[in-house]
Amino acid sequence: MTRKNAIVLIIVLLIFGFALWTMLPIDAERFGRKGLNLGLDLVGGVHLVYQADFTENATGGEKRADMQRVLLTIEKRINKYGVTEPIIQQLGDDRILVQLPGFTDIDAAKSLVEQTGFLEFREVELDNAGEPVYLEDYLEQAQLRFIDTGETSDRVFVNEEKNPIAFLVRDGAGTRFVDVEDNSVNQTALQDYGKSLSWIPARGDDGTQITGDFLANAAPVMSGEVVPKPQVSIEWNAEGGKLFDELAGRLYNSGAYGTPQRALGIFLDNTLLSAPQIREQEYHGSGVISGDFTINEVEELANMLKSGALPMPLEKPPLYQEKVSATLGADFIEMSWMAGLIGIILVMLFMIAYYRLPGFLASLALVFYGTLVLALFKLIPVTLSLAGLGGFILSIGMAVDANVLIFERMKEELRMGRTLGAAIEAGFSRAWSAIRDSNVTTFIVCGILFWIGSILVAGAPAKGFAATLAIGVAVSMFTAIVVTRTLLRLFVGGPLSRKTALFSVDRGKK
Amino acid sequence: MFDIIGKRFRYFLISGVIILIGIISLASAGLPRGIEFSSGSMLTISFEKAVEHDEFQEELNNLGYTDAIIQQTREGEFLIRTHELTTEEKGQIENALAARFGELQETQFNSVSPMVATETWWTTIWAVVGAAAGILLYVTWAFRRMPKPLHYGTCAIIALVHDALIALGVFSILGAILDWEINLMFITGVLAVIGYSVNNTVVIFDRIRENLTRGIGADFESTVNNSLVDTLSRSVNTSLTTLVVVLALLLFVGATIQNFVVVLIIGIVAGTFSSVFIAPSLLVVWDNGEWGRFIPWLKPVKAKV
Repeated sequence: MTRKNAIVLIIVLLIFGFALWTMLPIDAERFGRKGLNLGLDLVGGVHLVYQADFTENATGGEKRADMQRVLLTIEKRINKYGVTEPIIQQLGDDRILVQLPGFTDIDAAKSLVEQTGFLEFREVELDNAGEPVYLEDYLEQAQLRFIDTGETSDRVFVNEEKNPIAFLVRDGAGTRFVDVEDNSVNQTALQDYGKSLSWIPARGDDGTQITGDFLANAAPVMSGEVVPKPQVSIEWNAEGGKLFDELAGRLYNSGAYGTPQRALGIFLDNTLLSAPQIREQEYHGSGVISGDFTINEVEELANMLKSGALPMPLEKPPLYQEKVSATLGADFIEMSWMAGLIGIILVMLFMIAYYRLPGFLASLALVFYGTLVLALFKLIPVTLSLAGLGGFILSIGMAVDANVLIFERMKEELRMGRTLGAAIEAGFSRAWSAIRDSNVTTFIVCGILFWIGSILVAGAPAKGFAATLAIGVAVSMFTAIVVTRTLLRLFVGGPLSRKTALFSVDRGKK
Repeated sequence: MFDIIGKRFRYFLISGVIILIGIISLASAGLPRGIEFSSGSMLTISFEKAVEHDEFQEELNNLGYTDAIIQQTREGEFLIRTHELTTEEKGQIENALAARFGELQETQFNSVSPMVATETWWTTIWAVVGAAAGILLYVTWAFRRMPKPLHYGTCAIIALVHDALIALGVFSILGAILDWEINLMFITGVLAVIGYSVNNTVVIFDRIRENLTRGIGADFESTVNNSLVDTLSRSVNTSLTTLVVVLALLLFVGATIQNFVVVLIIGIVAGTFSSVFIAPSLLVVWDNGEWGRFIPWLKPVKAKV
């Protein structure tokens, strides 16, 4: 064994050990990545693509800004539903991709995205003494009854994250607590939230509820008396300005600055966006929401105020819809592993039967290959769809191609009577141009598949296949050329090197 | 020693007949396009209890979906393929089916609008054309030091078109018999086959390049034949290992990506055949100026001695 070969062997073994540690166990966390990234068709879920319906005279800049807002709005709605790792992306100039892994109710997903969000303003409920009402006040009641009897609409209670925890409603079933999906809620479950304020709809003097419909504009601004601070300026339309001044006057006079009585609750789809204090009795149609905001928060709040409804309608039905149930996916994964395992074993048996010792070494290289490819899938990470798994399994069959090329050349050289060492070196160097040129064509095809996979609305399978096949071919060049050669060189000059039968060459017969 | 090149016109005839059958099928039956390319909805419903295909069909006919294509995918599970369904229409179908046949589950739903379908169709056509052009350029470039490098590129492309035509022809026949449709996975498979076929062809061309450079063989024709024979066991072995894993894929993963796997199987067989029997032979035909022999009523430009 030469010193150079020994060093290469050690490096190869180190890479193998590293790959093995990265890959196994498959669910373990390595470098912040846990398990393999599985595509929607394997874990089940919903895939939707919407076309945004812009007006004809919308400019490029407006479209870009609107697309940002629409993505943000949809993301907020979906986050409230607790879908893990949703993907909400812009596709091209005016399309929206929504992927919800593990969420299989496609109709619910669609209504979640398509709904126009409801922006409304609320104030805190007051009791007879003019004191704010909290959830605990209702929980203490023997018989649930609205405290402010003049307001018969629902009360909203939010948690510290400002998301709704419960509503107090009066309907055919009496006065009761319900959750977001209208199911009755047990009072004992609400004990922890006793200090939540009771929010009732904010109304003008004639009883009109103040909603986002009355807002004309909202924009982030920098202003302040001493130091400029990020704020949101809002503008009401004519009727909104009148209604809001009626509300502002009432709130202003019902409590000191800083108390809940003076708070204006801004709610989008029952989530509290902000609860600024009313500072003045009259605003004459415009105002600012100030507070301890960062610039990003201010921009986001202005966006939400403007886009309570989506900034533009989405065309219905969606351009593309797909739903895969989770059980199908689980079967696919198991079957794919099985196919991969059987495939790899058959290829190994074939290689050993046909090429004997070199075939055995190529089989070892194939184990290395499989480990390294899976480790790369985990690290990059590659999203494995069914097509991606197919590409990986196909690449197993193609991975030995470089070895087949090399071994055939080696056999020719051995038949010509060269020593094992010379035959190995000649085999590798002569086969190299074929390996290089033939694999480049595979990379060209992978490149084109990756491209169509990226631009097509439903192109994920093509993209996944291209990624796994390209990684597989690249790694196979490394394992076939470096790993197998290093292993073969171990035998040069040793007692086995003269036993040509081990190299499937029968010199005597020819 | 095998003499493949000497019998080249026999192999051209075999390929010609297979491609002709495919073209006849393509011209008469066409190539049924899946919803990705033609728009529409696909809905898979599975019932708790077994349901007869005829009864299922009858219920859909009652609902007005007389042109829907219905396939029974397994016991108590049906796939409906019809025009693009709205949420309401889908709800109506599911309610009516549940009312008649009891508890059901929507296992899969897929719906594609006409706009996306058209886009997908044209993009994939351009992708196939782009792949062929890229390969032509690359192979021509890789053989730039040889006399007539364009010959190598062109013959590789003819072999690739040959494989794609066979795959399309077989799918047209499968479509007519088994209601198979081509989808994006099919196109992915076709592109994979294109890459695979050229990969094989290039390995053989590489050997021709080497043998020509070393001056082995009496003339071009015998050099090509020697190169073919030299690489024959590699061509067969690589195809076998690839075929083995693809068969494992077919047996285990089966129906869901069967389009893809079947294209690969056809492609591997056709690709190996074209790499060994067609592409190198075409090089010789071109070199000898024998194109005239493909057109029977023209006399061969250069008679074979």
